[in-house]
Amino acid sequence: MDYHARLLKRGCIVLFPKRFEVIVIGGGHAGTEAALASARMGRTTLLLTHSIETLGQMSCNPSIGGIGKGHLVKEIDALGGAMAIATDEAGIQFRILNGSKGPAVRATRAQADRVLYRRAIRHRLENQPNLFLFQQAADDLLVEGDRVAGVVTQSGIRFEAEAIVLTAGTFLSGVIHVGLSNHAAGRAGDPPSVALSHRLRELNLPVGRLKTGTPPRIDGRSIDFSTMTEQPGDEPAPVFSFMGRREMHPAQLPCWITHTNERTHDIIRGGLDRSPMFTGVIEGIGPRYCPSIEDKIHRFADKTSHQIFLEPEGLTTHEFYPNGISTSLPFDVQLALVQSIRGLEHAHLTRPGYAIEYDYFDPRALRTSLETRAFRGLFFAGQINGTTGYEEAGAQGLLAGINAARLVRGEAACVPGRDEAYLGVLVDDLVTRGVTEPYRMFTSRAEHRLSLREDNADLRLTETGRALGLVDDTRWARFEAKQEAIARERERLRSTWCNPRVLDVSRTVALFGAPVEKDGTLEEFLRRPEVSYRTLMEWAAPGSGLDDEEAADQVEVQIKYQGYIERQLTEIARQEQHADLVLPEELDYRSVRGLSAEVCQKLSAQRPETLAQAGRISGVTPAALSLLRVHVKRLGAGRVTAATEPSREAADGDAAQAAG
Amino acid sequence: MRPRSADTIAAIATAPGRGGVGVVRVSGDLAESICLGVAGAVPSPRRASFRSFGDAEGRTIDAGLVLFFPPPGSYTGEPVVEFQGHGSPQALAALLDRCIELGARIARPGEFTERAFLNDRLDLAQAEAVADLIDAESRTAARAAIRSLSGEFSNAIRDLVAELESLRIMVEAAIDFPEEDIDVMADYQIGARVQDLMERLDGIFTRARLGQRLREGATVVLLGEPNVGKSSLLNRLAGEDLAIVTDVPGTTRDPIRGHITLDGVPFHLVDTAGLRDSADPVEREGIARSRAQASKADLAVLVLDARENADAGFARLAANASLPERCIAVRNKIDLIGESASSVERAGVTTVSVSAQTGEGLSLLREALLKAVDWEAGGGEGAFTARSRHLEALRRCREHLQSALSLIDVQTDLVAEELRYAMDAAGEITGRKTADDLLGAIFASFCIGK
Repeated sequence: MDYHARLLKRGCIVLFPKRFEVIVIGGGHAGTEAALASARMGRTTLLLTHSIETLGQMSCNPSIGGIGKGHLVKEIDALGGAMAIATDEAGIQFRILNGSKGPAVRATRAQADRVLYRRAIRHRLENQPNLFLFQQAADDLLVEGDRVAGVVTQSGIRFEAEAIVLTAGTFLSGVIHVGLSNHAAGRAGDPPSVALSHRLRELNLPVGRLKTGTPPRIDGRSIDFSTMTEQPGDEPAPVFSFMGRREMHPAQLPCWITHTNERTHDIIRGGLDRSPMFTGVIEGIGPRYCPSIEDKIHRFADKTSHQIFLEPEGLTTHEFYPNGISTSLPFDVQLALVQSIRGLEHAHLTRPGYAIEYDYFDPRALRTSLETRAFRGLFFAGQINGTTGYEEAGAQGLLAGINAARLVRGEAACVPGRDEAYLGVLVDDLVTRGVTEPYRMFTSRAEHRLSLREDNADLRLTETGRALGLVDDTRWARFEAKQEAIARERERLRSTWCNPRVLDVSRTVALFGAPVEKDGTLEEFLRRPEVSYRTLMEWAAPGSGLDDEEAADQVEVQIKYQGYIERQLTEIARQEQHADLVLPEELDYRSVRGLSAEVCQKLSAQRPETLAQAGRISGVTPAALSLLRVHVKRLGAGRVTAATEPSREAADGDAAQAAG
Repeated sequence: MRPRSADTIAAIATAPGRGGVGVVRVSGDLAESICLGVAGAVPSPRRASFRSFGDAEGRTIDAGLVLFFPPPGSYTGEPVVEFQGHGSPQALAALLDRCIELGARIARPGEFTERAFLNDRLDLAQAEAVADLIDAESRTAARAAIRSLSGEFSNAIRDLVAELESLRIMVEAAIDFPEEDIDVMADYQIGARVQDLMERLDGIFTRARLGQRLREGATVVLLGEPNVGKSSLLNRLAGEDLAIVTDVPGTTRDPIRGHITLDGVPFHLVDTAGLRDSADPVEREGIARSRAQASKADLAVLVLDARENADAGFARLAANASLPERCIAVRNKIDLIGESASSVERAGVTTVSVSAQTGEGLSLLREALLKAVDWEAGGGEGAFTARSRHLEALRRCREHLQSALSLIDVQTDLVAEELRYAMDAAGEITGRKTADDLLGAIFASFCIGK
């Protein structure tokens, strides 16, 4: 008899009278997107959180977006999610990064007011039809055979549902370290989820330990900004959501830049003997791209100075977030190191920095839909899967919410491919390669980077979102109008002939550097690197261009990138011949002729869904893939598209076979 | 890594026919037990041991040396046994049969090398070099194949790929970490390094092209008006050279081929129907074929009559056929005007004056032919045996580097894309998967992160 049955017998548990189709556990960025998506798709959904007050809490730095991450936010937006529009309502500084490095790697980043952001998210949750909120810590998952059945809360209330999305963040057996002292916590100020963590360990899901950190916070009244470099937002401020408007933005604030110095580094070196990281107290693996300041100084000893960004936490607080000095050194060292920095000589710390260790589950035990392979209906999303970042969490939450909603209606999973969205890259990386450190999105993870741009996230995903029931009529109408404007304008550029000899020669020379004799279509002229859409319109056809900035940008990017995009499409088409070759779940890799023992063992352990996925597992060589392809073709296996998983029935059959 | 082979293969490894020594090679998990069955013992690894080879009834088939190579250091990466008996076809066949009896199956052509590739003992370029070595028609070609097989070519490509990878790491760092206080593109002189890389690539390309010449040779088309002596020139070239000449006669008006080897480089000579205006439909068809041959060849030899003005003749021929990039002009029949042989280079075209009749000037012509395919005396020493596929990949690699260079100050995302294409192209040569953990390398090389 299991734990839950014992309690039930003792009368400690009461059944919640309303039955839900989908239950989402956790109210962070993954949980809120999951709950909203499921409810938008019409499923009766419960969001179970230990605290309604902290729904949409930004527990680390107060910013949304950045390289690769901004891409994810725009994709969440195109699929009807909340993150982008909430940022438009809460953002106090907006910037475009990589502005001059090309449209594919251009990314939006915003500083957000924590209070306004929470308010924006909670407002959406509370006003979403089909969505119910309930405050109580989840302690136990109910499992019947190989399927999930419900959840029991701390005080013994039982909720039943066919699908559960677990988004426990860093709360699973979380331990906070400051210097050599440590205590159990979910994040600063919140209790950890210990019972749930134990329960999950009982379910025999593969679990590991990761670490992340955060810097101390500083009272802005004690900062001398006059010695720092001001970093204002872009003018005009960019907008995150397709439905967002500049007028939604609250008052805007700058960030500030200062630097560490030799003295700072000496202070840090002097404190390393009391660092939980350097003394081996912390076992979890931290992210290399977001190292603590002690780690940076240790690993790059010849660097005499590091940049620090002072980011405002909001309009109604004096607190600043010093980005760049995440640390778990003892508090006295933290204070000394901060006060050694120019402009922070008199800094008052409002909260200590800390490192947090927490449990995560090996995402290789998940399907691409984020459903666990072991338990039907149980989905994991967010930091629990070994990722870091609000955007990565929100994207997974959205996907898990969609697929939980589809599962309870018997519909096949829906997962974008690596060539369709960063979201597709994210889940494929997770379930195929697993993680060795907290996973963060970068554009270099996306091999189809040129096609996966922020500027075309709406064009890539709105239709899918509409088909799934995530996109409302207002957004759809606006999207269709934009799409039409782009198509019309491209047609016009393609068919409008332009004779440069009749145009003003001085302007031609100003634009091209020399007189132009040969005529051509407007599209042909736009292909030239020195010409932009706006300069082309001014030169060749004043007053005739598109007014819609976004549509105009899109026309320009599409034309300028055409050659590369076509090349990538060919590449994608070629890969798809392999990508859609499904590897049967019961495939006996030992029977594949010529496969090395190492590869055989890796494939048997991970059981990739498609040949393309197999190719991305480390150590699987092109030669091994050819052998696999030949073998599977010989078996006469079928094909499905890369975007859907093998049908549920097939998976059932496999499970039965595996059990038998 | 211990490879698992599904079955054990065996084959006669020496050329068919009678010879002094005949070798049967066995590879796979059963190799040791087959060795025991045939020779009664398994010798210690890599030590030759003299044994008699017995059949199932214990009767002696042959006697000779047995060698055992344990994995993973063997040729295929699997257990390998070699029986070196006498070169009698009957004895070898009986020995092979005995191995089959003991559980091996007959290997498909190239299967030993295929297994070596699958077990990571050879990369693709090396595996191809094995075939080239076996097929090599000259000592120079064989030396080039050995150089490729021993990995010299693969190493050069690997170095190239490694440099491309480090360039990509820097460009990717510039893209994904724009807020760091380093300007990667400028500080690390990406442009200059791309330029250097292109020069290195050119060096490899030259050596590979020499190797491709050694392997595939050059096609030379002889063009000229009727009766200028094309055929006798062909016969003279082919006849004087002691290499194998295999004239493949077609119909009289079809191009006639001859094969000669100069300094190790095979030349495929194509004689053509004389170019002139003709009313005869059959001759016209022959002339059309000559023109088609001319456009496909690596090199054209324009044969002229020494008695007429060379420039005028040359111009007439050039107007009459689409010529390949490289041409040699030959003034034949100098014996008729009492001129002596000479070789003159003017405006990129070498004009050689010869007599096919007497053979005078033929050595000058041979030199000109070699020079026209970029062959320097003893040039084979640096050559890598290479295939058109390799040259094609190197050419694409260079194109992408060129594009990357032109985009450096324009658009970083496209620079990254071009560098990736360049690396993929170079990686195709060795067929090895290149490292995909660029991010890992970025974190190791730069202090990144806020």
